[in-house]
Amino acid sequence: MRRRQFLKRFSVGTAALGMFPLLNWQKSARANPFPHAVWVQGGEPAELLEAALKAYGGLERFVQKGDVVVVKPNIGWDRPPQLAADTNPDLVAAIVKACKQAGAKEVKVFDRTCNNARRCYRNSKIQQMAKQAGARVEHIRRNKFKTIPIDGVEIKEWPIYDEYLKADKVINVPIAKHHGISRVTLGLKNLMGVMGGNRGAIHNHFAEKLTDIDRKILPTLTIIDAYRILTANGPAGGNPADVQLTKTLIMSDCTVTADYLALELFGLKLDEVEHIRRAYQKGLAKYTPEHLNVRKIIL
Amino acid sequence: MRTARRISQIVFFLLFVFLFLITRYPYDHGIVTEIGLRFSPLAPVFLFIKDGHLHLILWPAFLILLLTPLFGRFFCGWMCPLGTLLDITDKIIKPPDNRKTGKFEKLRAFKFALLVGLLLLALFSVHLWGYFDPLSIFNRALAILFYPVFTLFAETALLTLSNIPLIEGPAYWLYDYYKIVFMPENQAHYQQVLWIFLFVGLILAAEKLSRRFWCRYLCPAGALLGFLSQFRLFGRVVHSSCPACGICHTECKMGAIPADDIWHTNKVECIQCFSCASTCPEKFKSISYEWTWKPYHSGVDYSRRRFLQTGAASVAALGLLGIGAKNKQAINTQIRPPGSLPEEDFRDRCIRCMECVRVCASNGACLQPSGIQNTLDDLWLPVADMRLGYCEYECNLCTQVCPTEAILPLSLAQKQKTPIGLAHFVKDLCIPYARNEECLVCEEHCPTPEKAIQFEIRPYTDPATGKTRMVKYPYVIKDLCIGCGICVYKCPLQGQAGIVVTIENQQRPRHLS
Repeated sequence: MRRRQFLKRFSVGTAALGMFPLLNWQKSARANPFPHAVWVQGGEPAELLEAALKAYGGLERFVQKGDVVVVKPNIGWDRPPQLAADTNPDLVAAIVKACKQAGAKEVKVFDRTCNNARRCYRNSKIQQMAKQAGARVEHIRRNKFKTIPIDGVEIKEWPIYDEYLKADKVINVPIAKHHGISRVTLGLKNLMGVMGGNRGAIHNHFAEKLTDIDRKILPTLTIIDAYRILTANGPAGGNPADVQLTKTLIMSDCTVTADYLALELFGLKLDEVEHIRRAYQKGLAKYTPEHLNVRKIIL
Repeated sequence: MRTARRISQIVFFLLFVFLFLITRYPYDHGIVTEIGLRFSPLAPVFLFIKDGHLHLILWPAFLILLLTPLFGRFFCGWMCPLGTLLDITDKIIKPPDNRKTGKFEKLRAFKFALLVGLLLLALFSVHLWGYFDPLSIFNRALAILFYPVFTLFAETALLTLSNIPLIEGPAYWLYDYYKIVFMPENQAHYQQVLWIFLFVGLILAAEKLSRRFWCRYLCPAGALLGFLSQFRLFGRVVHSSCPACGICHTECKMGAIPADDIWHTNKVECIQCFSCASTCPEKFKSISYEWTWKPYHSGVDYSRRRFLQTGAASVAALGLLGIGAKNKQAINTQIRPPGSLPEEDFRDRCIRCMECVRVCASNGACLQPSGIQNTLDDLWLPVADMRLGYCEYECNLCTQVCPTEAILPLSLAQKQKTPIGLAHFVKDLCIPYARNEECLVCEEHCPTPEKAIQFEIRPYTDPATGKTRMVKYPYVIKDLCIGCGICVYKCPLQGQAGIVVTIENQQRPRHLS
C-alpha cells in the first residue's frame, strides 16, 4: 500500500516538476514573445527595416507617442555613401520616418564627427535624407556636454552629449566596419559619437574604457546597418574594393547581442574581439550568447 | 557727384566683404572669389618683373592701370576697400583738417620711396610688395581680425540667448539662420593676431594724424597710380567766382589742394572724391568737374636725391637679407599648402592675403599666418600647423583661391597624390613605443584608401608584472603618406604629439600639368 502511494505521489511530483519548464516557457513567452534579435538580408534598406520591425513587434514596442527620439547614426567620416564609412542615409531616413509614424514628437539626428562636421553631414547624404524624412539634424555644440559619473574600472566620469541624455528613446544605428584598433566597429563603438572630451585617450586600454562608459549610455534599440560593410582599411575606408554589398540589417534591444551577431559578417569569433567579450563579462548584455533566440529573415 | 562716389565706395566695400564671406566650404558657387585681390595695380608690375610676361588673370588691375591716366586716382577714392575703411574710421576718430597737417607734407615722398624700394628689391628677386598691397592688407584684416572677432561675439551672443528658457525658440531659430547663412564654419583661431593687429591698427590709428594718412604718405599702390595720374584729363576746375576762402583746401581728403594755389589740384594726390565741390560754400559754388583737353601737369614729389637714398636703403636691405643663415631646424616643419610652388617662387608670388588661410579655416583649419621662424620674409606666409588642424583629404580649396597662383590650382585627384610632407613617429612619446600599450588613433584616422599607417603586432612582456600582451606598433609607409597631418591632430597626447609631419618627401609643382 505504501509503495503504491509512494509511486503515485512520486509520479505526480515528477509530473508537477516536469510542468515547471513548461510553465516557465509559458511565462517567458508571455513576458517576451519576440526574438532577442532579428537578422534580415536580401533587400534595400527601407525593406530590410520594415521586415525587421515587423518581426520584432513594431517600433511602437519601443517608441511611444510624444517621445523625443534621438537617432544616432555614424556620420563620422567625410565619405560618400557607397564607400561604407558612414551609416546608409536611406536607412537613417527610413528609421526617422518609422519613428514619426510611431508617434515620436521630435526625432533628432546628430553625431560628433571625426572629419570636419559640415563635410561629413553633407557628403554622407545623411543630413539631406534625414531632414527630408522630418528629423531635426543638428551639429554638435561644444557647450552641451554634461559630465556624468561612470565609476567604471578605469573611467571615473566622462562628458556625454546632453541631447542624448535628455532623449526619451535612443536608436543607435552603426554601420558595420573593419577597424584597426578594435577589429570591428559596431553598436558599442558607435556610441563614441556622443562622448565628449579627449576620445583619443579611450583607445588606450580600449576594451575596458569603452565598456566602462557604454555601461551608462546603452541605447533603447540598436540597428546595425550592414547593407554595405567595410571589410578592410576601416574605419575611414576610401577604397571601393574594401566595400562589400551584404544587404543585411541586424536589430536588437541588446547592443552587445547585435554586435555579437554581426561578427559573422567579418568571419570573426567572440574571443577575437576583446571589447565585445569584455562587454559580456561586465554585464552589458541582456541576453547570453549561448541562449540566443534570433529570427533570421531572407527577403 | 560726391554721393555717387560714396555709393561706389559702399558697393565695392560690400563686394569685397561678400567675396571674402563666400570663400569657404563648399565653394560650389562658381564665383572666382579671389578676383577682388586681382584689382591691385601693383600686381601686374611686380609679377611682370618676376616672370617677364604679362598675366591675363590680372585683367582687373590692367583695367585700373589703363583708366588711371584719364581719370586719376579714382581707384583710391571710389574702389579701394582700405580707403573706404579709412573713411569710415574718420567718422569715428575725427582726424584734424589740413590746416594742421602741413608738417607731414615732407612725408609725401615716402610712398614713392617705398614703391621704388620695393621695385629695386624685386629686380633683385626679393618680393616684399605683398605686405604693403592695400587689397592684401584689407583681406588680411578681414580674415584674421574683423571676421573672427565678429563671429566670436555674434555666435556667443546667439548661443547665450538660446539658452534662456523664455526666448529659446526664436533665439534658436536665429542661431540656426545665422549658422546657415553667415557663419557655417567653426570659430577660427589664428596665430600672429597681435602683429597683424598692430600692423593694421597703426594704419587705422594714423588717421588721428591726418585724413587718409596711409593713402597720402605710405601706400605704394597709391604712389604708382599717382605717378600715372600726372596728366589726368578729368578733374577739378575752379571758376572765377572763387574768393579763395580756403575751405576746399582745409577739407580735402588727400590735402591735394595747395593752400597757396587753390585754383590747381595736385593730380598725383587727388583721389577724385568730389568732396571739394560739396564743401564749397553755397554762396560761391565755384568748383565743378570737367574734361580738360589741355591738362596741366602735377609733378611727382620724388627727387633724384631721394631716389639715391632709396637705392642705398634697398641695397642695405638686400645685403642684410642675403647674408642671413638658413636654419634647417626651423624649416623642418614649414609645411606649405598642397600645390604650392617651390619655396623661392612661392615666397615671391605670395602676397600674404590670407585667402588660403581663410578657406582652410572652414575645413581642416591647419593653415596659419606664419611667424618669423628663419628669415624676415617668413612673416605671414601660409604654413600648416598640424596640431591646430589638418589637411582634409577630400578638400582642394586652398589651391583654388590664390590670386597670384603662388598655389597652383589642383584637381582633387591631383591633390590627393601630392604629398605636402611625411609623417614620422616620435618614438619617445608615441604610446605604443614609449609605454608598450595600445593606441593607434593615428592609424584609425589615416584617410588614404590604402592606409599610410600600418601596424605590426608583437608580444611584449611587462617587466613589472611578468605578463605578456600583444601590442600593435604603428609605422608609416612613405610611398602612401601625403603628409595631411590628421594623425598629428588626433594624437591623444596632451602636448607634443607622438607623430610629426616634416617637409621630407613634399612635392612642389613647378607648373600646371
